[in-house]
Amino acid sequence: MTHCLLCHQVLHPQMTLTQFWRWQPLPVPVVCQRCEQQFERITEMHCPQCGRQQTNMTVCHDCERWGEQNLRNHAVYTYNDAMKAYMQQYKFQGDYALRQVMREPLRQALAQQTYDVLVPIPVNQETWQTRGFNQVTGWLQNQPFHQALLVTIDHKDQPQSAKTRQQRLRTQQPFSLAPNAATVLKNKRVLLLDDVYTTGRTLRHATAQIYLGGAKAVTSLTLAR
Amino acid sequence: MSDEQNLFGRQLPLTRGPANSSSRPAIVLNGQRRQCQRCHQWLLPTDQLPNQAWYCRQCLQLGRLTSQDKLYTIPEPNRFDPVGVPILTWPGKLSPMQGTAATAILNLTRRKRDQLLWAVTGAGKTEIVYPALAWALAQNWRVAWVSPRVDVCLELAPRLQAAFHHVPQTLRHGKQTTPYRYCQLTLCTTHQLLRFHAAFDWIIVDEVDAFPLATSPLLQTAIMTAQKPTGSHLYLTATPGEQMQRQVHQKKLAVTYLPLRYHGVLLPQIAVCLIWRWRERLAKGKLAAKLVRQLQAYQQRGQRFLLFVPHVVDLKPIAQALQQAGVTGGMTVHAGDNDRAAKVQAMRDHTIPFLITTTILERGVTFPDIAVVVLGGDDPVFSTAALVQIAGRVGRHQNFPTGEVTVYCHSQSRRIRLAQGMISQLNRQGKRLGGRYK
Repeated sequence: MTHCLLCHQVLHPQMTLTQFWRWQPLPVPVVCQRCEQQFERITEMHCPQCGRQQTNMTVCHDCERWGEQNLRNHAVYTYNDAMKAYMQQYKFQGDYALRQVMREPLRQALAQQTYDVLVPIPVNQETWQTRGFNQVTGWLQNQPFHQALLVTIDHKDQPQSAKTRQQRLRTQQPFSLAPNAATVLKNKRVLLLDDVYTTGRTLRHATAQIYLGGAKAVTSLTLAR
Repeated sequence: MSDEQNLFGRQLPLTRGPANSSSRPAIVLNGQRRQCQRCHQWLLPTDQLPNQAWYCRQCLQLGRLTSQDKLYTIPEPNRFDPVGVPILTWPGKLSPMQGTAATAILNLTRRKRDQLLWAVTGAGKTEIVYPALAWALAQNWRVAWVSPRVDVCLELAPRLQAAFHHVPQTLRHGKQTTPYRYCQLTLCTTHQLLRFHAAFDWIIVDEVDAFPLATSPLLQTAIMTAQKPTGSHLYLTATPGEQMQRQVHQKKLAVTYLPLRYHGVLLPQIAVCLIWRWRERLAKGKLAAKLVRQLQAYQQRGQRFLLFVPHVVDLKPIAQALQQAGVTGGMTVHAGDNDRAAKVQAMRDHTIPFLITTTILERGVTFPDIAVVVLGGDDPVFSTAALVQIAGRVGRHQNFPTGEVTVYCHSQSRRIRLAQGMISQLNRQGKRLGGRYK
């Protein structure tokens, strides 16, 4: 008997007729339906730049403020209370087992993207030591990825999530290219992967560095927006 | 407060401890498996992080422990200022029966026996413990009063503060930010005991059969580790579980009975009313005529009542059906309700005539003149203990010592019969002590 990873209720997985006829191992659910429904998927109606859920498909106000610095980001879920609670427990409390909750949705989202190289946003060395994992690569199962970025300046006197919008926008370029990155990135379509898109600062810094590595096109995917 | 005091009898993950503290690894390989040293639960083989460290998921809520952490502790020195006299500043007086129970508990406490106070709902359990607690504090014992329910702790804190005015006390629970204070009397939730190690000479566990303590081995071990090897504990409950009753039979646990309420009136017995397929009828927006008639009668004569339902999802349709039937003015309340405290307070203040609730109000609340109705009493959420506790909401006040408890169900269940059995057994014992029906 398994329990929901989020609310600890007993799971009662139900087999559909399709699954029965397919005659394959059943997918094992890790969260109950009620918890799963708490996460809100972003529909087709989103901002073409940052992927924010909207009622139309025009560029949103925040992206207009960025002006020339274009970005093509997709997000899977809205950053609602359930997602905040999930991030809190997974990332900040460090419950690594919760990576399984987002593995399947992220696999589906990645399958819909066209790219040659997948580059997850790295965490700095200190975070890696204390947290013990990179929250982004934790979601990946067998998808090949290349750690083309490194965190160089540890300006993290305070984490991104603790800053105001203005402070975040002033952040200096924190990334540099890994030594062998240029050979991997040359003329490739690169997909950046991050957890949450808040102001877009981190992803724009990363995008700039990837272009320096010779990539043909850079798009990005985040779990939440 | 010094760092030292912070560590007296505690176990905390620190980067560096004071000089006289000792440390041990937080996660230990024991045979093939790894064990968390804070909560003593086993880790799963999947609980490893990519940086090769292991972490415990069971006590994650108290801050993550990994195999890189160390738990620091200083053995409890009982370094308290002598308590001011009188220790017990409670102005009330125990009834003769309460007095007998209090003496029995005091004697067992002196002999450091593990014990159970099995007193009916509304017997005044808290006050019965006061004399023994005052004695323990005079002996310079470090004492913890714990409960699995934070509501119980919050309600108890001002009462203990008033009853032991000169004794420094601290209240600990999960949703607070005030720093820890080293005190002789600690009032906390059972989860907080995980931060203590061989600290207490005496632990009083209030509502020991309540969720989640009853079903959680983690919390049960927490009590054992927080207690000194030489210490003892006292369980308080009206409805001990089967396991605890077995321990009583095996003489592993000394027991003090108090089968009669302080006002001397016996417990109200549960009346059962069968209503055929009420769930199907509720889906059509209707409630059984019997139930509606009873509730309408309550409203007409101004009798306030609590209506217990099995699940949170049942609250809304039942409230609507009652509205249609002309039973109006009530509110619904459940565990996840943000206005929970306000609604219960409104019920106390007589501003609303009734509450529709899930099992969260089964214990720890007192309304003076109340009737209780349970709908769907055969549902598994109403355990025997829950039903006895629910029935115990009735007739708690001196001026209103009687009342009605009605359980509506689709079919009779073993749990209901056992609850009736437990009540009549307590009443038989109570009658021998001079209990009366009115």
